[in-house]
Amino acid sequence: MKRFFSIFLIIGMALSVFADEVVFKTKAPNQVIAGKPFQISFSVNQQGRDLRAPQFTDFDVLSGPYTSTSSSTSYVNGQRTSTFEQTYTYTLLATRAGTYTIGPATIKVNGKDVQSNGVRIEVLPEDKQPQQSGQSGYSGQSNQGSQQGEIFVRTIASKTKVQEQEAIALTYKLYFANVEGLQLTNNIKLPEFTGFLKQEIEQKNLQAELEHYNGRNYQTAELVRYVLFPQRSGDITIEPANFEFMTQVRVRQRVRSIFDDYFDSYTNVPRHATAPAVTIHVDPLPSGKPAGFSGGVGSFTLNSTITKTEMKVNDAFTITLEISGQGNMKLLKTPAIDWPEGFEVYDPQVKNNFNITKTGFKGSKIIEYPVIARNAGEYTIPAVNFSYYDTQEHSYKTLSTPDYTIHVARGAGEAASDSNQPAVVNYSHTQKEDIKQLGSDIRYIDLSGNWQKHQQRGFIEYGSMEFWLCFLLPLGIAILLLIILRKRIKENADLARVRYKRANKVAQKRLKAARAALKANDKDAFYTEIERAAWTYLSDRLSIPTADLNKDNITALLVQKNVSDALIAKVMNVLSTAEFARYAPTTDHAMDDLYRDTTTLINELEEQKL
Amino acid sequence: MRNILLAALLLLSPITYHLSPLYAQSDFDLANIAYTEGRYAEAAAGYEALLQQQQNATLYYNAGNAYFKQGELAKAILNYERALRLEPNHKDAKFNLEFAQSKITDNIEEHDFFLSIWAQAVRNSMHEHTWIILSIVLFLLTLTGILVFLLGREPWLRKTAFHTAWVALLFCIIAGVSANSLHKRDTLRNEAIITQGIVNAKASPDRSGTDLFTLHEGTKVTIRETLGEWVNVKVGKNEGWIPAKDLERI
Repeated sequence: MKRFFSIFLIIGMALSVFADEVVFKTKAPNQVIAGKPFQISFSVNQQGRDLRAPQFTDFDVLSGPYTSTSSSTSYVNGQRTSTFEQTYTYTLLATRAGTYTIGPATIKVNGKDVQSNGVRIEVLPEDKQPQQSGQSGYSGQSNQGSQQGEIFVRTIASKTKVQEQEAIALTYKLYFANVEGLQLTNNIKLPEFTGFLKQEIEQKNLQAELEHYNGRNYQTAELVRYVLFPQRSGDITIEPANFEFMTQVRVRQRVRSIFDDYFDSYTNVPRHATAPAVTIHVDPLPSGKPAGFSGGVGSFTLNSTITKTEMKVNDAFTITLEISGQGNMKLLKTPAIDWPEGFEVYDPQVKNNFNITKTGFKGSKIIEYPVIARNAGEYTIPAVNFSYYDTQEHSYKTLSTPDYTIHVARGAGEAASDSNQPAVVNYSHTQKEDIKQLGSDIRYIDLSGNWQKHQQRGFIEYGSMEFWLCFLLPLGIAILLLIILRKRIKENADLARVRYKRANKVAQKRLKAARAALKANDKDAFYTEIERAAWTYLSDRLSIPTADLNKDNITALLVQKNVSDALIAKVMNVLSTAEFARYAPTTDHAMDDLYRDTTTLINELEEQKL
Repeated sequence: MRNILLAALLLLSPITYHLSPLYAQSDFDLANIAYTEGRYAEAAAGYEALLQQQQNATLYYNAGNAYFKQGELAKAILNYERALRLEPNHKDAKFNLEFAQSKITDNIEEHDFFLSIWAQAVRNSMHEHTWIILSIVLFLLTLTGILVFLLGREPWLRKTAFHTAWVALLFCIIAGVSANSLHKRDTLRNEAIITQGIVNAKASPDRSGTDLFTLHEGTKVTIRETLGEWVNVKVGKNEGWIPAKDLERI
């Protein structure tokens, strides 16, 4: 029983009256032990009167109400804070074990009735004689000698038979009785939790509670709390955990001095407690996993949103997926979106808005996919499938988002914008100033009026009759011509014959020229013409190439052609005379003779029809 | 009274005086004004309306420009190509087509054999009818050459005629092949421009077909076959099926 007596501060009192809110609370322990007195108090932060306590029907009122008031004023940085509290305390005794409710109390503050909260009190049965502590199916305990008070730690698993990835809450709970000054040291050896993903549930402060366990009432505290997600199937044993505590043991010492007597002397004694091992049976997930199984086990919902479906090229938009629910959220794979071509997709941003609870992670996982549309057109972003194993319905489930159809319009000036970028091109190293290309664009429209100009249709259509006639008609005419003139072609084909035929003509031409030279008394020209006339005539008539032209060849061919020896001699004579006369002094008479000889020779040879 | 009204209208008219719609002779001028003032969508619609009535290289060229200014690369290329179909020597259309082609993503030319590119350039340099006339003239020249060669008397003349004949025949064949190729192209209309921003060519005419390659807007393809709503296209060495709605025939 505690009582607080404090000094009244009038100023504090006076000020507290004007405190803004009236708080009237009931305070009672959550658990009490039958047969042991406990206190219940009603406190109000303003001056109250006329307290009407609830009916303590299931409890015996041992004493009360005791009234106490306390107030304090503090100045912090020139600010004054005042508190005031008026407390009414009853001492009660529970007689029977069970859970009871105590209704609210009523008090008048400033003429108004204010109600306090009701409380539930669990009455634990009285202690029995200490027994041999047993082990329950899923928990164990370690016991330490009861003569010094009892300390043990239980390993409490919420489930021992789970599916893979299903959350298990594992708690190391401390039980102690008749122990003074208990403190947990840092010397804690926790198991490795091999085969599990473990997540610790942080506890702000250790709160001791009373619990009736195996016939005794213990102070209890949850030391460590984990949520475990089995990562493989089979029987997985969690090794024992060791905890070290410090307890204070009163030591009776011999009185050495007069002062020693005033103080109790305590010694810190370390105490060890081992939380027993526990085996978890993990069932594998059933077969038949869907193709896109996300690894999720639990129960989830899927939502998706898109910022816009109508946009222009180079616009950015975001698709957001929200997976909410409960389960092994931390292990969910980010669903992949099967993007069509033409989108620039950035790495998704994942926001985890979940907290760890005893049944796993609870909350939501938000995945944002930032995207930029790079090409115009109409595109469909296919549904995103999210598959998980539902632990409640024991089956695989697949959630889907809707398809999104996106219209990407061409951005204004999308093509033109590029052309505005200056491209300075320099080609030369000379001092001359090159024409600098500042930009490029298309040429301007044709404003001339020749838009009405009809596209001229060709007068001949490809593949038409006229077309083919254009080819066939000239071809026909040409063939006809060739047939008609085929004799000439034949003649043309025989070049030697042409020369043969032309031989006399050519010879006469030369003789004519020789005659002219004779008249002009041009000796050189005369002999040249005569010689040429004879040689060319023979070459043409006998079809001897100029290269092979010599007297021997000519003689041989003339003999072959049955020309008389006399004529052959004449031919040789003319050739020799013409050859020599050029270089020898001759008379006009000789020239006349040669001219006449040559003419008769050619005539005679012509008659021979060589 | 009428003059006052006209003057008032003129004053109200925000359009530059020399291109005032009051003086617009035709829809063509109206479309040109729209283009001049940057109302490209309107201009394009105007040219398209005129093209419904008659096909003309100038109209196609101007429409191509209007589309280009709107960023509609595929439609711009399509219209330039059509302009060049009608007037193969339209310099501005050629220039702008090349400019527009420099903006598209796909670089197809690289995959083609240089000779075939060169042959195409030769073929496209003239109109089909020009080729036809050229081939006929060259054919006549060939025949004349042959005749002179066969019937001629003078050796130099015959020699000249002979060489003229074979050179003329060679060019006649080139002209004929070009005319034939152009005729085939224009009757089959087997060339098309991709209009969809990006399209995947598939191995089969089926949505579930394997994706073979990706084509981007503005790329010119050759249509080989049509099957329902799918067409088999050839680009360089690649062949695949794409939805017919994603391209437009030139």
